[in-house]
Amino acid sequence: MREVLAVVYREYLIRRTSPLWLFFDMAVPLLYLLMFGVAFDKALGAGLSLEGESIQYNQFFLAGVLSMTCFGSAINQSYGFFIDRDNGIFYEFLTYPMTRSQFLMGKILFQCLMSVVQCALTLVLAVAVLDIAIQWEYLPLIVAGVVMGTAGWFFFLAIFAFLIRRNDTFNTAINVAYFVLIFLSTTFYPIDQAPAWLRLSSFLNPLTWHTDTLRFLTVGIGAGGTVLFEAVCFGAFLLVSFWLAVRTLQRAV
Amino acid sequence: MTKRQNAIEVDNLVKVYQTKNRGPLRAVDGISFSVRQGEIFGLLGPNGAGKSTTIKILTTLVLPTSGSARILGHDVVTQPLEVRRQICVVVQENAIELYLSVRNNFRTFGKFHGLSTREVELRCDRVSELFGLREHLGEKGSDLSGGLKRRVQVAKMFLIHKPIVFLDEATTGMDTFNKRATVAAIKEESRKGRTVILTTHMLDEAEELCASLAIVNHGKVIAGGSTDQVKSLGLKLLYLTLSFDKVPERTLKAIQRANPVKIEVRGATVEVTVREEDVALKILNTAKRLGSLKQFEITSASLEDAFVEMIDKKAGAP
Ligand SMILES: Nc1ncnc2c1ncn2[C@@H]1O[C@H](COP(=O)(O)OP(=O)(O)OP(=O)(O)O)[C@@H](O)[C@H]1O
Ligand SMILES: [Mg+2]
Repeated sequence: MREVLAVVYREYLIRRTSPLWLFFDMAVPLLYLLMFGVAFDKALGAGLSLEGESIQYNQFFLAGVLSMTCFGSAINQSYGFFIDRDNGIFYEFLTYPMTRSQFLMGKILFQCLMSVVQCALTLVLAVAVLDIAIQWEYLPLIVAGVVMGTAGWFFFLAIFAFLIRRNDTFNTAINVAYFVLIFLSTTFYPIDQAPAWLRLSSFLNPLTWHTDTLRFLTVGIGAGGTVLFEAVCFGAFLLVSFWLAVRTLQRAV
Repeated sequence: MTKRQNAIEVDNLVKVYQTKNRGPLRAVDGISFSVRQGEIFGLLGPNGAGKSTTIKILTTLVLPTSGSARILGHDVVTQPLEVRRQICVVVQENAIELYLSVRNNFRTFGKFHGLSTREVELRCDRVSELFGLREHLGEKGSDLSGGLKRRVQVAKMFLIHKPIVFLDEATTGMDTFNKRATVAAIKEESRKGRTVILTTHMLDEAEELCASLAIVNHGKVIAGGSTDQVKSLGLKLLYLTLSFDKVPERTLKAIQRANPVKIEVRGATVEVTVREEDVALKILNTAKRLGSLKQFEITSASLEDAFVEMIDKKAGAP
């Protein structure tokens, strides 16, 4: 644990040197929710019809904002590897008295704290400004969902950060992947009425699993059985990504 | 010498890199050596010889293709964490937190190595004094000059007391003053019982610091042993320097008759290179007998001579 906390301490010291960046980090999900939520909410008027029920768009979109926040947070942290590599400190880290998994855990623990704060602010905004009803009794599970989402994506992205090595290539790859994953998921819209190929791709997408889980936990949309299955799938995605990230890190020099 | 006393054991280590342009590249090609506890050991060799790759394998950064290496009895492949607990490393690349102050660089390094905040502060003072970093403690890493960055990186190693220290060209970019301070600090640590393994291009530095060394070329050890042994493995050359008021012509002729390897006349000084002591003494006697010899000096080959000689000889090797 001492090793993991040392990594967290280091991440904290570095993040502290850039308060403006920290501020924008916090503000982005709120802006998403306000801009898309309010705009689409107005545009769609009567709201969405989901399984015969009518719901407001911003109620639907809230979980999308949360899952994108986790994904974005993971992207931020995975860029850190390139900064560390440029500083050369990356290689020195790998000779410190800790395992590769402790290194990765420390890296993500700090980022999970960030995600939790971002998501908490988003939920508060959702309740206070957009009048969305949150299932507060699930709060511990929502927090767990946010932590797992951030960690899962971070480990997944870390594999590519170690393999790709080039900042610009990684950047492009991430941009494309982010766009495709969001498009083929339930982040922005329900896919019940979408064409079959889109529904199938969406169902194979970890971003859908994560978003659906958070949607069920925060506002109660979705079928319990399906969501449980999706949550388990995401858990498996997280574990496999972690294992692969640790393995790739062994050969990252 | 029993095996137990060796801090580092390297046995037939091989590292093959798969490169796109050059195909498989044997960066390390069957290297073996051992380092005794408390010893300063040098890895010498030209650029691309495989020194850093060897260090990377020993510090668990890179997995070897074959062969084995043990650090205080721990295998670098199967027990990497135990190995990391025994070592600290100055990697060849600059490694410094550019966004953090020098003091915070020390703090994070200390935390990673299990020091309490109080211990870090105490040692931070001592180490920054030693490396002349006191007035830079508040400066950000990115604002430091190249040499200062390197100094911070090296200074960190003296914050903690790991039994084995790896220094991959640690004094690169440092000015003479700091190079000396670093060399002195390394010597001091070794006196306290820490084992140091270093790579360097500075042969005088190696000669001053290392008790034993290995000269590496094309991934192979081409000479190894105590520094004196390695020196004597080079051509057995003796350098004879004779100073006169003015070099007498007949003395010069007499020296030439003794058939030395090389004669060079520089003003009033004659530099003669010979292979055998007998020849050196004969030339010296002749010069004395023929008169007007003011001063003389006989020196044996330096490490640099041995190094150049050996690398030259094997230059054509694959
Ligand atoms: N990651 C890598 N991939 C492919 N080839 C590599 C890699 N790292 C090193 N090499 C090659 O391995 C050989 C040995 O490199 P190494 O860095 O060990 O040399 P060195 O003795 O430390 O040289 P220098 O004195 O320049 O630091 C070189 O030919 C180098 O090009
Ligand atoms: Mg090197």
